[in-house]
Amino acid sequence: MNTLFALATGIMFAMGVFQVLRRDLVKAAMGFYILFTAINLLFLAVGAYNGVIAPYANGALPDGQPSDPLVQALLLTAIVISFGSYALLLGMISVSSRRFRTVDSDEIDGLKG
Amino acid sequence: MHSPLLVAPIFIPLGGAAIGLLVARNRTLQHSIGLISGVLAWLASLTILSINLNGDILTYYLGGYQPPYGIAFASDLLTSLFAVMATTVMLGGIIYVLGCKDKSVSTPAFMPLFLCMGAGLNGSLYTGDIFTMFVFIELMVISSVVLVAISDNRLGMEAAIKYLLISAMGTLFLLTGIAALYASFGTLNMADIGRLLAEGERPVLAQAAAVMLMCAFLLKSAVFPFHFWQPDFHTAAPTPVHGVLSSVVVKVGIYGLIRMTTLMFTDEAPLIHNLLIILGLIGIFFGSLSAWRTYDAKRMLAYSTFGQIGFILVGIGWGNPVALTAALVYAFNHAFIKSSLLFITGAVSSRTAAKTSRLTEIGGVGSKMRFVSVLYFVGGLALAGVPPLNGFVSKVALVQGGIGAEQWLTLGLVVGAGVITMLYMTRTWQHIFQQHPEEGVKLKPYGDSPLAPALLIAVCVALGIFASPLLDLATRAVAQMSNPALYISAVLGG
Repeated sequence: MNTLFALATGIMFAMGVFQVLRRDLVKAAMGFYILFTAINLLFLAVGAYNGVIAPYANGALPDGQPSDPLVQALLLTAIVISFGSYALLLGMISVSSRRFRTVDSDEIDGLKG
Repeated sequence: MHSPLLVAPIFIPLGGAAIGLLVARNRTLQHSIGLISGVLAWLASLTILSINLNGDILTYYLGGYQPPYGIAFASDLLTSLFAVMATTVMLGGIIYVLGCKDKSVSTPAFMPLFLCMGAGLNGSLYTGDIFTMFVFIELMVISSVVLVAISDNRLGMEAAIKYLLISAMGTLFLLTGIAALYASFGTLNMADIGRLLAEGERPVLAQAAAVMLMCAFLLKSAVFPFHFWQPDFHTAAPTPVHGVLSSVVVKVGIYGLIRMTTLMFTDEAPLIHNLLIILGLIGIFFGSLSAWRTYDAKRMLAYSTFGQIGFILVGIGWGNPVALTAALVYAFNHAFIKSSLLFITGAVSSRTAAKTSRLTEIGGVGSKMRFVSVLYFVGGLALAGVPPLNGFVSKVALVQGGIGAEQWLTLGLVVGAGVITMLYMTRTWQHIFQQHPEEGVKLKPYGDSPLAPALLIAVCVALGIFASPLLDLATRAVAQMSNPALYISAVLGG
């Protein structure tokens, strides 16, 4: 299971970094979200317990090894934050694409100089 | 001591933001709610400081869960010092907003977002839990990004996109660091991590986490390899937001670095200190020289922040108690000087037709504004470190720290770089206030109110003349944080 997590996280990080460095801002925004998903996977992987049973369901400890509930709580927060930032980023790209008539980051160059 | 007062500076601005959104149609009411919550948060942070001064470390466990399981808030003197600085400048910013004529300021969402930024700022200082710190930093980043995106400056949107992408990279570093810490210690409470590290546990992942956290904090305070977003993002912001961003928001990273080196990674601290001295020196020279050569009065102050953060980093890097005290005093004083200078520049540039602060267009605009001119002059002298202003106190403390550390080369460079500050401040003052405006330049008859910068400059002068309470406070804060066991036992034991 851990090898799978490590592989998935690594591949997603690579994809995200490649995508964030693209000139197209919409693709860069997608890379941004892929990177955050990679981080979320990493968080799942670092849980202290390796079980696959839902923890504390029905108010009692389940039989067998439960999964780590804390990383899941952290994940929820991280997902909400990354989702909010992603929506904000796409909104801003949409507004600036209307102003500049392009999403190419090389042509949006008002800050140059 | 255990008290819910500790979360007041976080939840009062958040509540103010929520109520402000409900009454968004009535701008006057919304702005007065903003002012009231700013004042209340300021009073709460002062009360916490006075409790800390009695030697207590204040703690509060959200939801009543004992640490290391619940979310703990904790405040020692270091936290209080930074939080009082933050709430005071926030209050100054709110007062500036009340007298500001910008279009963006009258948007319904402006004041709630401004308060959210303040709540994020206070929260990231008061929290004792590293994941909660991430959440509050993100709250601060997202609200400041929106505030810059709606700025009157046309470049605001572009700068906001740029910063959101770069800050996301910083967030990735922070989250990876947090994941590494959780994998190696199974806890996210900073005091608990500090306890485990002090007991001699030293997994490889923890050192990787130290590197990751450092990258994140350096990015948040715009230190050398991660500085490139700062002048663009700060210059494009509306004036009240720029004042808060350039003076206190960049200090969150500094606070994180101090916490990291004194509470958690005390064994790795010498290595980190050496790095900080080098990065700080690069920042001092690069920032000061860029400030000298730039084309915009606000941008000059943004570059100058980059240089001044370098002075603070060098202070932390020297690492002896005197130098750490100097770094704290420097950070505290710089916040007031920089925010007041920015507010003054904003008040002057609001008189120009295009509301710009480009040096080609702002020249001579302030020639009729005697009062503002005096304020800018005093602020400039304080930034350059001329007695009897507070900048002098921080410079003297820093030099004493350097003598104590016996690092003569760095000390010489630091003192030499102070001269550049003097050069660019006097040049800009002459350019804006001492010459006649060009022929045919039309000025608006009214602009932003200079009340907020006047109050902040008054604080600067007061801190310069009555310097000993602040020095005393910083010395006690350093004494408290050089004994991390105090903080750890207060958070975990109480």
